[in-house]
Amino acid sequence: MSAATRETRTGAAIDVIELHKYFGDNEVLKGIDFHVDNGQVVCVIGPSGSGKSTLLKCVNLLEQPTSGRIFVEGDEITDPDVDVDSIRSRIGMVFQQFNLFPHLTVLRNLTIAQQRVKKRGKDEAVEVARRNLAKVGLSEKEKAYPAHLSGGQQQRAAIARALSMDPDMMLFDEPTSALDPELVGDVLGVMKDLAAEGMTMMVVTHEMGFAREVGDKLVFMDGGIIVEEGDPREVLAKPQHERTRSFLSKVL
Amino acid sequence: MAMSPRKRARISRGVQYVVLALVVVAVVLATDWAKVKNDFFNPEIARAMFPDVIIVALKNTIIYTACGFTFGLGLGLVLGLMRLSSVGPYRWMATVFIEFFRGVPALVVFLALSVGVPTAFPGYTVPGDVLGIATLALGMVGGAYMAETIRAGIQAVPKGQTEAARSLGMSGSRAMISIIIPQAFRIILPPLTNELILLTKDSSLVYLLGYTASTVELTSFGRQTLNQEKNMTPIIVISLCYLLITVPLSMVVRRMEARAGRAR
Repeated sequence: MSAATRETRTGAAIDVIELHKYFGDNEVLKGIDFHVDNGQVVCVIGPSGSGKSTLLKCVNLLEQPTSGRIFVEGDEITDPDVDVDSIRSRIGMVFQQFNLFPHLTVLRNLTIAQQRVKKRGKDEAVEVARRNLAKVGLSEKEKAYPAHLSGGQQQRAAIARALSMDPDMMLFDEPTSALDPELVGDVLGVMKDLAAEGMTMMVVTHEMGFAREVGDKLVFMDGGIIVEEGDPREVLAKPQHERTRSFLSKVL
Repeated sequence: MAMSPRKRARISRGVQYVVLALVVVAVVLATDWAKVKNDFFNPEIARAMFPDVIIVALKNTIIYTACGFTFGLGLGLVLGLMRLSSVGPYRWMATVFIEFFRGVPALVVFLALSVGVPTAFPGYTVPGDVLGIATLALGMVGGAYMAETIRAGIQAVPKGQTEAARSLGMSGSRAMISIIIPQAFRIILPPLTNELILLTKDSSLVYLLGYTASTVELTSFGRQTLNQEKNMTPIIVISLCYLLITVPLSMVVRRMEARAGRAR
């Protein structure tokens, strides 16, 4: 285990220092050092098994880091005494498999955590939920159950659910990978709108077009380390590292 | 000349039907129908059982079963969660309880509570009289079975559901109560119905505790009449009463499943 090598940057939304993560004997993250500034959209790409989803899940402690430090808006979330639940309610998360609650209507999916976690009254929760459903274009679907929505609609509802907690930042774990190709555009559209509003976003994705168009920073991971990072247009056009070149030649 | 497989199958099936029909005819001819009607479907004896068979015996069976099932469901939920606990002693305690009460006949549990408890603790009996013992005994046996079902149901809910709930800031227990357990119960509705039907029948063991005119349940009631009349009619009547509980129950649950299926 290596000790933290630097202090956190002031003003960073997410700051990851010397992060290591083992699953058993398997080292999945081998010393990640990385930050997301306020209002930035950072896209993380890389081959499967590169550790990018694990990194994302460490940021809201869905995976417990083995060593290293993570700061969210200056609060160290890897401090054992931290209130994990209150940190998580400030970080929205969107999953590859949507993970809507199938036993609840779309509206209830959006209000349940507002009421149970944020202790909002029902009227306020419903109002916030309707506002966010309108934002993702699903106002008509508030009474539907998730099973009755298309994949793209489910993912947009999941984004609205995360937004209803008024998060300071959003994490996206391959949000379009489980979607039929013709449904990807709607979800990316919602994400672009969010970015334009200045939302801080960390996006694990295979959508190079999205990264190029919307991303402020592109991070390429392979084998549990960050191989290369920089301006998306530059990294995609002139990758410096051989592994980045080889990966991009396969996906572009 | 060789027969085609389809033709051979048709002939074979025809033979089976003929044999079956012959058996039925033989049984019908051999039966003394007047005697059957008198011994099994005797209208006077059946009529004399009413209304008590419904307003006392059936009612008591339902009450014992409902109380036992409710207590068992709560106990099963606690035990199921203990089995999934990260705290070792909780898991071990639940495992011992479940193995014990699943392995021991319900009859033994009834005896232990009715005879064993007053013997072990002189001057003390299980509170609540017959209903108290029935609730405890049926609940502990049913709870041990349901615990494993509930544990399996909780584990069958995809891990992403917990992750989504936790990512919204819900605590572990809040996620369990609001998100995981409701979905688990949809999954295990059929086996839980099974358990309720089994408990309905196990409630007949209440006869071990002795009964009075007001605490008698269906099986005791039927046996009592059987002994008085030396006639099988009461057994037919109480059998129909059991079906009166279980068949509508199955229908209600099938409808609930269909509704849950639409939401899934």
